[in-house]
Amino acid sequence: MKKLMNEAVNYVDEVLDGLQLAHPDVFKVDGETGRMLRKTTPSTGRVAVVSGGGFGHLPIFAGYVGDGLLDACAVGDVFASPDMNPMLEAITHADDGNGVVCVVGNYGGDKMNFAMACEMAEMEDITAQQVIVSDDVASASADKAEKRRGVAGLVYVVKIAGAAAAEGRDLAAVVAATQKAADSCRSIGVALGSCVVPQAGKPTFEIADDEMEIGMGIHGEPGVSRTKLMPADALVAELMDHVLPELELKTGDKVSMLVNGLGATPNEELYILFRAAQSILKGKGIDLVQPLVGNYATSMEMAGASITVMKLDDDLQKLLAAPATNPFWKG
Amino acid sequence: MGLTSNHLRHAIRAIQKDVDAMGDLLNELDAKLGDGDLGVTMVNGFNNMAAIADDLPDDFGRACMEAAKAMTKVSGSSFGTLMGISLMAVAKQTKGEDTIPWSRLSDLIGTAIDAMMERGGASLGDKTILDSLEAIRRACTELDRPDTVLSASVEAATDALYSFRDKPNRIGRARIFGDKTIGMDDPGMVAIQKMLQAL
Repeated sequence: MKKLMNEAVNYVDEVLDGLQLAHPDVFKVDGETGRMLRKTTPSTGRVAVVSGGGFGHLPIFAGYVGDGLLDACAVGDVFASPDMNPMLEAITHADDGNGVVCVVGNYGGDKMNFAMACEMAEMEDITAQQVIVSDDVASASADKAEKRRGVAGLVYVVKIAGAAAAEGRDLAAVVAATQKAADSCRSIGVALGSCVVPQAGKPTFEIADDEMEIGMGIHGEPGVSRTKLMPADALVAELMDHVLPELELKTGDKVSMLVNGLGATPNEELYILFRAAQSILKGKGIDLVQPLVGNYATSMEMAGASITVMKLDDDLQKLLAAPATNPFWKG
Repeated sequence: MGLTSNHLRHAIRAIQKDVDAMGDLLNELDAKLGDGDLGVTMVNGFNNMAAIADDLPDDFGRACMEAAKAMTKVSGSSFGTLMGISLMAVAKQTKGEDTIPWSRLSDLIGTAIDAMMERGGASLGDKTILDSLEAIRRACTELDRPDTVLSASVEAATDALYSFRDKPNRIGRARIFGDKTIGMDDPGMVAIQKMLQAL
């Protein structure tokens, strides 16, 4: 393991501390648990949006606390769900009496703990509702879509939820927009090299120098196929073949697309992938709006990338374009 | 007369007093089948709950909720989460009540079982704590005195443990070991029995 760190056990807390020290006007570490990151200046008089999940994916989840994005976020250990307590702290802190939307990736621990936190909040007379994000087409077939993992689509869903809340919509309307965003995203990743969980100290998986794994999850979960490295254009064609069919796009439909780096892949290569993906969309007569290229949902030092396509209607397009202020968000 | 927050305080303290010995045994059992952290979860969870036992509110529902928060502060084993889920299920049913008639205990256990099945994905017969609790639920039906409830529960938890000993684990990490788990006690089921015996 080669990492710039101190004791592995302090890894997460030192990152959170660094975030609040570097951006004191945006981030504040809070809660009895010290695992709740919130906006330094809370918003009032509107629905709140929170999220939470395992750490090691910056900017998602905690990195997207900010105006027009998340109000607060529960932080777990690297690749491990937070327990219910920081989630409840995030919900109760963020609530201003108008209800809370919880954006949750489709992982057993995250869902179970958020469900408990929502029930506890309910006992304190706070209405908190979960929207589950399960955009990874490689993790289960379409007829078992409820088993799919949440990956980079979380970025879009957080952005839409935050924008809908900032606009002053009521809880039902924010939940509806957030759910629509979750339903409109499809993603797939490709991994070239492993990540290392600090407390594990060794690579999560083995992969040969000349191999790539298509469909690998953001914690190293097995993908759909392991192949020899192929040229970027051919790879993108295959990835888009997985992502696009379920969106049932027609000529003239609008989409946004996120070409996301998993941590160790340079921006240069992301733009090579983007170029190829853009050309495929153009060839199908699909209108690409507000593309995103960069590191938005990572897996520590995993090498590779993911492509997320979100089908847009006018409302989603407007919410995606709405202002958001945050050290990581680049719209 | 019925179940109150005082009983909950007493139970937490009684189990916490024995939890270190319990923890060693459970870690050992869990190391063979799971990730070996069941004992640690029990020790940390009961230490956390004991720390707040004196401050538990008299509202039994709220007391269960505070206990759930303390229990789940130890991340790691799903056992902690499942205990939190059961306490929450009971909390929802009893919010605002100081005294719960003993005759309702059976139904409350049933609510906890349902919540754990919904959230955890296990079914009855999978050789988990659900099978212990289902046996206890049945044994407590129509009992309305604390002494008979406790003795029937200990007996039911022990019977369940023995009757599942020769069946395979069908869920969780232990499932991977399949038929090798025949003849082995499920660590979670042992935990239930040991907790009740401590009372």
